[in-house]
Amino acid sequence: MAQLTATTGSPSRSPVEVVIDRIWRFFCSVRMAVFEIALLALLTLIGTLRGSDVPQWIADAWPFTQPLVDRWYAWDVFRSPLFASLLAIIAIAIAVCTINRAPGIWQTISTPRIRTSPGYIDRAEVNARFTASMSAADLEAGLRSELKSRRYRFMTEQVGDQIHFYADKNRWAKLGTYPFHLALILILVGGIVGSMFGFRDVEFAVAEGETRAVGHGTDLSVELVRFTDSYIQTGDAQEYRSDVIIYDGGTKVSEGPITVNHPISAGVATFYQASFGISVDMVIKDATGAELYNQPLEVGFFNLRENPDAPAGLIRLPAQGVQVAVVAPDTNRANRPDLDTLQLANGQVWVQVSPLDANAGGDTMETAVLDQGQPQDVAGLNLLFERESRFTVLQVAYNPGIPIFIIASVMLVGGLAVTFYFPLRRIRGIIQDSADGGTLMMTPLAKRDWGGKREFFALTRDAGERLGAAPDVKRPDDEGNWDHHEADDDTR
Amino acid sequence: MDTLVKLSFYFFAATSVALGAASVCYIAYAIGRVRVRRATLATSAGTTVTSSSADFAPGNVSFGQWGSLLTWFGAFFAFGAVLFRTIAAERLPTANMYEFSLTFVLAITIMYIIFERMYGIRQLGAIVMPIAFGMTLYIWSLPADMREITPLIPALQARPIMTAHVSAAIFAYATFAVSFAAAVFYLVKKRWGIRWLPSLEVLDDVAFRAVGIGFPLLSLVLILGSVWAHDAWGVYWSWDPKETAALFTWLVYGVYLHTRTLRGWRGTRSAVILLFGFAAVIFTYYGNYFFGGLHAYGGV
Repeated sequence: MAQLTATTGSPSRSPVEVVIDRIWRFFCSVRMAVFEIALLALLTLIGTLRGSDVPQWIADAWPFTQPLVDRWYAWDVFRSPLFASLLAIIAIAIAVCTINRAPGIWQTISTPRIRTSPGYIDRAEVNARFTASMSAADLEAGLRSELKSRRYRFMTEQVGDQIHFYADKNRWAKLGTYPFHLALILILVGGIVGSMFGFRDVEFAVAEGETRAVGHGTDLSVELVRFTDSYIQTGDAQEYRSDVIIYDGGTKVSEGPITVNHPISAGVATFYQASFGISVDMVIKDATGAELYNQPLEVGFFNLRENPDAPAGLIRLPAQGVQVAVVAPDTNRANRPDLDTLQLANGQVWVQVSPLDANAGGDTMETAVLDQGQPQDVAGLNLLFERESRFTVLQVAYNPGIPIFIIASVMLVGGLAVTFYFPLRRIRGIIQDSADGGTLMMTPLAKRDWGGKREFFALTRDAGERLGAAPDVKRPDDEGNWDHHEADDDTR
Repeated sequence: MDTLVKLSFYFFAATSVALGAASVCYIAYAIGRVRVRRATLATSAGTTVTSSSADFAPGNVSFGQWGSLLTWFGAFFAFGAVLFRTIAAERLPTANMYEFSLTFVLAITIMYIIFERMYGIRQLGAIVMPIAFGMTLYIWSLPADMREITPLIPALQARPIMTAHVSAAIFAYATFAVSFAAAVFYLVKKRWGIRWLPSLEVLDDVAFRAVGIGFPLLSLVLILGSVWAHDAWGVYWSWDPKETAALFTWLVYGVYLHTRTLRGWRGTRSAVILLFGFAAVIFTYYGNYFFGGLHAYGGV
């Protein structure tokens, strides 16, 4: 005698399992994904507007918002822990969601359910029914041919005296979501790899004739042979060009011009044209005549209150406990002349000697105006302004995340293109013999998919011609709307 | 070269006229007609009672057909304007807001025509064509010196990638304009049930299909922009306002695509998100007016 046992509810789970399950569900939830992406969008908008005058417009319109606007401008959204945390949560959600969906998607692709029921097909919003004076086998063969010509996969299963079938097209496109979502994670990984294991020097200045070491654990150095800038008649820039020689351990490894959009790579580093400026060749000697400094000094990275618009540079002489500020003439006519208390002519520089790390102007030992080629004693030092030359500012970067980024880019665009441009089309149906021949009924799996339904209608039309049977097609209730417009508009 | 530049401008002027007229036709077609019916009844007391009722009816089909014809003319003239300028400048005209907007007008008319042909519906023209026409008015408002062709500044001297990056952006924005129109009509149809508008399912499908084209293109814009930024500035991503504005737009459409898989979100809520999405497109498009940063060129 059989013994029946009953269990109430699911087997009890440990608290750990419950917690893990809830966390898993949290990350799998599409609702949460929508919320996370929307929050990311909101933060992105806040960060974007921070780079504009929009917050200030708000403060001007409603002055009581000024404190909030000040905090808005002060908040570096994209480098905030909140933004980084949200990116991390989204990355985890993508990974968990992807894993969670994998079995279902794979089943759709590899072993889809073929069996269906007449009731399901009858109740469907859209279906088609054929009655033909041919056997079920012939109907199946005809339909198979039609679907094959449309690149459908056709699978059948005998259920009693009925042939159930399933047909699909673009099934592999279901996998497009994987490269796309994986690419988003890889882009983040690429950024992390680049920032952790690479380097980026954004103000790598080299004067004409100077050779400067790259550093960052490399033996690379760069010699600037010449810098040229050219302009069109309107005054707009035409080209910024640095002719350089790159050495690795003293051996020349690369040579050529660097222009905007055309960097040069050597070893692990890539050199980009960033900006340029003026340098002054200075020679400094002590009272005994010993040379303390003899090289071009890039000016433009500092300014002094004597003329805030003029390019200035700083020479530090730690052994002597002093520093020398050098200011070149202000050649930009657009700058405010009333701020220029130095009034330097071409061929002159203004120097200020002060104790090392002294506040500007506070502990000045001595100042002087140097004429080109004429040495002058200033605060116990002999200073010579030899000539003015140019310097280039390069950006030197090594980013080991580049290959990851390139792979991710291809995956992202490719995944999206496959997903959207090759939509999955699915059809289920039943074929069986009847008293007068055979009948075929089928329905598309195209709920809320007008494109899928339209393709189904085209299929039924062509299948009807192939089978020699006019289909009885059930169409959506509101299809009259589109038919009306298709009928009186001959726009197809 | 001057002749070609002038010819391009004349073609643009013709585009503007054609798209303005197309807008009027499409609007007349989409709004339909109002029929006022009056009935007069004689009462047993010998008096008469008159009642009237308004009945809305579909617009005259010929308005729609004229709209389509004028849009084709607009596309033809816009193509000519872009072509002549391309020959004159020896590059695709995308270097400043005049050129960018001119090419955008061409893209939006092309994308609209594709969707009109694909779905066989003309009502969307009542929104898309006024957007295109509005863009031509914006072009008219730009300083006349922008019509001159000047050499590219160093940052833009990367023709293949600039062409690909900007073209992808233009066509992405154009398809988003179509999705915006479909979303607006979806909400109108849902609210007032105007029967001669396309069905809700068709409008929803148009919007989705348009985003399905535009979203990969916008992704391509971000990718190509990153590659270009890497060559020009040595870094893929600088959190520059124009970059992040494009990212914001991308995220809004990302939200839209995800909401379509949610029960209760497809339809009205999705359509509302599309309105936000197109607002983000406008925000990004005109970002140069109020953003600083690395993209602060383009002649505005």
